[in-house]
Amino acid sequence: MPDKSSAIVQGTLDMLILKTLALEPLHGYGIGIRIEQISKGVFQVNAGSLFPALRRLERAGLLNSEWRETENSRRAKYYILPAEGRRRLKAETREWETQSAAIARILNATPKEI
Amino acid sequence: MSIFRNFIAGLRTLFRKEQVDQELDEEVRGYIEALVEEKIRTGMSREQAMRAARLETGSVDALKENVRDVWWEQVVGSFWQDVRYGLRMIRKSPGFVAVAILTLALGIGANSAIFSIVYGVLYRPLPFPDEGRIAMVHMHFSPQNNPRGNLSVADFVDWKNGNTVFEQVAAYSRSRFTLTGESVAEEVAGAAVTADFFSILGMKPILGRTFQPGDDSVTGPNVVVISASLWQRRFGGSRDAIGRVIEVDSNPATIIGVVSEGFGFPRAQIELWQNLRLKVTRRGPFFCQGIGRLRRGTTLERAQAETNLIGRNIERANSGVYSNLTMPVESLRNYLVGDLRPALLMMFAAVLAVLLIATVNIANLLLARATTREREMAVRLSLGAARRRLVQQLLTESVLLSLTGAAAGLLLAFVGVRMFRAFNPANLPLAFQVQLDWSVLLFTLVISVAAGVLFGVVPAIESARGDLQAPLKEGGRSGTAGTGHHRTRAVLVVAEIALSLVLLVAAGLLLRSFMLLQKVDVGTSAPPTNVLTMMVTPKTLRRAGIQFAYDNGIISFYQRVMENVSRLPGVRYVAISDSLPPDQGGEDDTFSIAGRPWSDQAFPSTTLPKISPDYFRALGVPLLRGRFFTQDDTAKSTPVTIIGESLARRYFPDTDPIGQKIGASLPSNTDPYMDVVGVVGDLKYWGLESESKPAYYRPYTQNFNTTIFLLVQSPKPAAGLAPSIQREIRAVDKDAVVRRVLTLEDLLGESVAQPRFRTLLVTSFGVLALMLAAVGIYGVIAYSVTQRTQEIGIRMALGAQRSDVIKMVVGNGALLAAMGLGIGLIGSFAAARAISRFLFATSPNDPLTLTAGCALLSAVALAATLIPAVRATRIDPQVALRHE
Repeated sequence: MPDKSSAIVQGTLDMLILKTLALEPLHGYGIGIRIEQISKGVFQVNAGSLFPALRRLERAGLLNSEWRETENSRRAKYYILPAEGRRRLKAETREWETQSAAIARILNATPKEI
Repeated sequence: MSIFRNFIAGLRTLFRKEQVDQELDEEVRGYIEALVEEKIRTGMSREQAMRAARLETGSVDALKENVRDVWWEQVVGSFWQDVRYGLRMIRKSPGFVAVAILTLALGIGANSAIFSIVYGVLYRPLPFPDEGRIAMVHMHFSPQNNPRGNLSVADFVDWKNGNTVFEQVAAYSRSRFTLTGESVAEEVAGAAVTADFFSILGMKPILGRTFQPGDDSVTGPNVVVISASLWQRRFGGSRDAIGRVIEVDSNPATIIGVVSEGFGFPRAQIELWQNLRLKVTRRGPFFCQGIGRLRRGTTLERAQAETNLIGRNIERANSGVYSNLTMPVESLRNYLVGDLRPALLMMFAAVLAVLLIATVNIANLLLARATTREREMAVRLSLGAARRRLVQQLLTESVLLSLTGAAAGLLLAFVGVRMFRAFNPANLPLAFQVQLDWSVLLFTLVISVAAGVLFGVVPAIESARGDLQAPLKEGGRSGTAGTGHHRTRAVLVVAEIALSLVLLVAAGLLLRSFMLLQKVDVGTSAPPTNVLTMMVTPKTLRRAGIQFAYDNGIISFYQRVMENVSRLPGVRYVAISDSLPPDQGGEDDTFSIAGRPWSDQAFPSTTLPKISPDYFRALGVPLLRGRFFTQDDTAKSTPVTIIGESLARRYFPDTDPIGQKIGASLPSNTDPYMDVVGVVGDLKYWGLESESKPAYYRPYTQNFNTTIFLLVQSPKPAAGLAPSIQREIRAVDKDAVVRRVLTLEDLLGESVAQPRFRTLLVTSFGVLALMLAAVGIYGVIAYSVTQRTQEIGIRMALGAQRSDVIKMVVGNGALLAAMGLGIGLIGSFAAARAISRFLFATSPNDPLTLTAGCALLSAVALAATLIPAVRATRIDPQVALRHE
């Protein structure tokens, strides 16, 4: 199932999920929609990668979950970011910023700088 | 923390699988529902939206499978799932499973049984602490030339005094003791041992003490240590037994200790140890077996170097007695079972080959089944199952099959080991070490898992590689992938035939050797069942003990016994001797001939049986020249000797041996020369496999030994005479001990017990291999006939004759057989060379055996192809053309 938009950089899906949940608890579909909205449609998350990622994070203790009513009064599993998840998000964000700054520097390098 | 949490969550998934599954299902369904609603909002119809959503998310089952794969417990879970599925498959095809399990049970059971024997005898730790430091010391010298010869007391004392490498050294001598007084007279196996014997072996007393320094001096007390079994049997396990004085061989001896049940030494069944008092006399008699415990960090090589040095000193000081003296050192284990290692390892190799053949056979069966399961696999693959997952499931199935076979096999092994221990058919030492315990179970587990993976892996990979399209097409013929399977199966059958030939040839060679061995002429013409032998020891001889001195009372005992026995009805001849064919040689010694120079090489040591006049008549040995001994050859008459034919031929090729003068032992022996009075046919005294050696006989009245056999020839089978003969012996000496009452036939049988055992085993493995190969080739050919039903039908519709069809089908089988035989022949040559040490009068390249092996295997293979070939001719072209 190819995404019509850009593929998410390897290993960053976890961080994006944690970030969306840092704003508010969401269910699986909501997380996918939120990532798509915030990225202005650049990233589309399909179920095949979303669910395994959610399960991995939950298992690692970075997410909690509970069943709640949705706005359409259906039952759905909502994911909540616990303290440990927030700590991980902070750490990953820092790491990401360092890395992307470094990558940006490399890509912007001009012959003069060498 | 997170590992712990992960673990707990994993357990929850495993044990509350349904709930967890349900939640996942609900979550995914909710997701899809939301996706569909979203799409409906963008203006699609509900149907369009659902279709689009399904396209986007892909297979829901595959998605769930992916999510599950995130969890560690999934490995366990899918394993259980496979096991359940496997069991279901087993239930669904009982015929296939019965054949497979039977094959495996035979293969694995035989392996477990042989492994218990090989491991028990060769490797299981002996019940002696630090057994690696216990070493045996022998004495090897001319003229006796026994590489494991005994020491005399004087030699032992010299060794002990010169020793620096052993912590402790001891000497022992096996013996049998008669217990009298107390209760009924009883004979027990025992040993006379010096003071440090028990501490070398690390055998601790459970009551009292073992021997201590001084017990083995000439003036030491007469004391004995007894086994727990004797303690229970004769003294009711009472603590008062310690200090009791009992009669051992009619001499009073004090019990000082009891050692625990388990392993007696030097034999398991030994129940009494007497202190050996070291009375240094001349060099000889040689009855001491040396044993020692090496110092920590010392090697056998260091010990050997030192004993060589000591041996040289002994030889220098006693040049008249010894020449070429060495003192060989070997480990305890090697001493006990070193000689058996090659034969046991050969049996192990043979039985592994059987398992390998069984494994190949089952791989073949599985491949055949794989064809019928092609559609199932294709369906699962197209529904999104991972190929790795399919391989895993098929392997689980085959290992499950193998473990079931192993369970049945263990039952067989259990029975086999019980029987082996009860009968010990090969008279193996350490048979009591053979047990079915956790080491055997572990071995069985390892080989059955290995076999399961081995026979499962090729079919599993083949199946999972299967074509997705063809099998799924309506009415699609299953032949496409089948040809690939078929080629693999053909290769397996060729391998199976090759391996079977190797086993068959090995079995054939052993069988032929064994038959030749049984036909060996030991030199007797009396019917073996008509000759009864027994060991007879009078009380007086026992009392004199090991350091026996010549005594006329003993001679008169045997004379009276012979007189009385000769009067019994049914007794034709009666005689005594210290040697018996085929392998009971008495003493070995060299000899000299008057007027000829003596040398080691010219006069090698030989056997010199001491016999009574009717010895040769009782055995039916022909007199070639001169006369037998008579009652007139006594201690006071001229010393005489009778020589065997090969001695006469070698030393008197051109002269008449009668009247020649022969000196016993080395020329330095001062006894008068003996006149040669007769020449008799050769007898074998060193086993059936040995060459006849020169032997010279002496009358028992002129020379004597402490081990005496009584032998009786009857005109009819003689076993029934035993009770009346024993009565006559007891009438002369009521305390005389009679044992090993055996006919000559029994003795011949005993002497080939080990070759018989290994021949029997390897031959049964060969037969098993042959049967498996037959099943294998039948399976492949029968399957190919089924596959080609349509083709054969067309051929017959176009006018092919029955004979053409048979030729074609059998030709396929013959091609496989020929390839297998070709490869197998190469293997056979290698295997035959490896077992050549077990062959007797048979060349490893024996053309008869090779031809017979090939012929037998071809015949069986062709017979196996003939059945499907004939079936092929019954194909009705009408039906065949419609056949799917």
